Amino acid sequence: MARLAEQDKLQPDWWTKSLAGLILGFTLALGLVGLFAWFGPGGIDADTKVQFNMWLITPIWLLILSFSFMFKTGLRAIGYLSLFNVLTYIVLYTFR
Amino acid sequence: MKVRSDVLRVYQSIHIWTGIIAGVVLFIGFYAGSLTMFKGAIDAWSMPPALTLPQVPTEKLDDLVAQVLAQDDKAKIGFSLHLNDEHQSPMTWYQQGSERELSMSHQLWHASLDERGQLVTQLSTPSELAELIDQLHRTAGIAGEVGHDQAGVYVLGIAAVLYFLALVSGVIFLLPTLTKSFFALRKDKGESRFWLDAHNLVGITSLPFHLVICVTVIVFAFHDQLYDGLKHMVYGEKPLFAQSAPDRTPYTLADLPKITTVLTKVQELAPDYQVHEMTFMNLDNPRATLRLGLYNPNGFMRGPVTDYLYLHPYSLKVSNSTIDQSDKGIWARTVAVFFGLHFGSYGGDLGRWVYFFLGLSGAFLFYSGNLLWLEKRRKKLATEQTRACRLMASATVGICLGSVAALAVSMLLGKWLYVHVGNINHVYLWLYYLVFGLLVAFAFWRGAAKAALVILPLCALATLAMPITSLVAVIAPSLGLWAPYSAATLGVDLAALAFSGMFFYGYKLTRHRVFNGPQDSVWAIPAKVPVAELTQQTS
Repeated sequence: MARLAEQDKLQPDWWTKSLAGLILGFTLALGLVGLFAWFGPGGIDADTKVQFNMWLITPIWLLILSFSFMFKTGLRAIGYLSLFNVLTYIVLYTFR
Repeated sequence: MKVRSDVLRVYQSIHIWTGIIAGVVLFIGFYAGSLTMFKGAIDAWSMPPALTLPQVPTEKLDDLVAQVLAQDDKAKIGFSLHLNDEHQSPMTWYQQGSERELSMSHQLWHASLDERGQLVTQLSTPSELAELIDQLHRTAGIAGEVGHDQAGVYVLGIAAVLYFLALVSGVIFLLPTLTKSFFALRKDKGESRFWLDAHNLVGITSLPFHLVICVTVIVFAFHDQLYDGLKHMVYGEKPLFAQSAPDRTPYTLADLPKITTVLTKVQELAPDYQVHEMTFMNLDNPRATLRLGLYNPNGFMRGPVTDYLYLHPYSLKVSNSTIDQSDKGIWARTVAVFFGLHFGSYGGDLGRWVYFFLGLSGAFLFYSGNLLWLEKRRKKLATEQTRACRLMASATVGICLGSVAALAVSMLLGKWLYVHVGNINHVYLWLYYLVFGLLVAFAFWRGAAKAALVILPLCALATLAMPITSLVAVIAPSLGLWAPYSAATLGVDLAALAFSGMFFYGYKLTRHRVFNGPQDSVWAIPAKVPVAELTQQTS
């Protein structure tokens, strides 16, 4: 494996990446679950589906949080996760 | 598998720091959780058998209920029936308190029928030992409340978020060497290599269990907040839960159907299930509910032991169910699987034992993780280890092992003190926190090495004394002790004996390391000889 130049290496950026994963990761997970809640099987009115939806948030959120550290910098983590958030909520609020 | 070295470094840091922050509380959550797999057995073990009245055949239950309702006003509001459970009286109801609240001083009536069909009742304060272990499991013993929730539950919820990060990062930074050294347990390359191999092996083989526990703990802790999030961001005007109007028909107790009728109805609704428990609630108001605990040894239960079926106690109309196999019940059944995966309430008794050992292996994972952290930071040839190392070692030994010892001591002494105190539950609570506090203080005062040599033998002796107590009960009945009276209560004694052997073995190993291991370690008790000489001899 070729040695990586210093600027290509992952920057730890612990605070920004952690906060991005915790906060933006949570809203993104909520938005994705929202898409599943409205447009997934059974639609929004299915009996007790809300419980399943609630359960779905945590694994998605934690996976996003775990892999937030793969962004090269903290700023990129914030940027990309914000972008995905905006896209998800545009779809959710336009079509629900 | 190849992973970029900068990625490895980032995830290694995540693994180390999340692990070290969350490890200690998770240790308590896991070992106590293992014990909750046998809550019923532990409760039965902790109470004299005379407190439980004999079971009656199912067809006599109507007679029992009628006799109780004719003379007791509290039972007219609600009562429970326990079917085919040798550790439970056939009928119970609360004189004071309710099953929904945790209290040290519930007063519970027990009722049964004697051979001539005459009503027998007695009032007692039940031992909450198993419930207290369950609380320890859920809060790691951290007292206090936030809003209407326990602070400790939130602490464990946050610890579980760190735990998820620790799992993912642990797998990532193990990937490059995973296939090479997965089953390797290298004993000859030094203590730290052996511990690392064991830590990795246990972690990878039980990974699915850990992911399940981790996600469910977060949901259990934060479900209110998650529902709030869904309500504000997703559901909007739509209601989260469908509300059905309560049945306003003015029923009286005379309208209560016969127990045998209810059982026949349940048999039709759930042919594969046995009724374990029937709890009648709010019989005097429109919120009247009958909750049935249904058990299927081959099924996936929603609760820690059983599935649930909710009926209106008078009309027997189904209001809620976790066993609805139709399309309508698909979401409730799916969610039941998540609960069952945490509770280990699938796979019958074998499943319970598997979960018991998985829980203990989880506790081992956190404990060994902390040991590895200490070993990695060991300053070679130093006379004294860093302050952080000494404190972490004291915390690991004092809190983890101290909690185990405190629980073992309070279980043991609870049995001896039972007949001498009015309410045993306060004894459990005080003994636990007293012993725990003393041991943690001792560990920080005298250091990990000396503390381990006190706490491990204490654990071993307390657990060994449990089966011995049962022998004493047989030999000297006048002491007010009692011996096991069922397979399950005998099982508790035998498990204690096995634990005792494990603690003795741990004590032997620790002792060996303290006196014969390298002196430049938090595990060594400083000798009077210059350290440089000693390390030359031992290495």
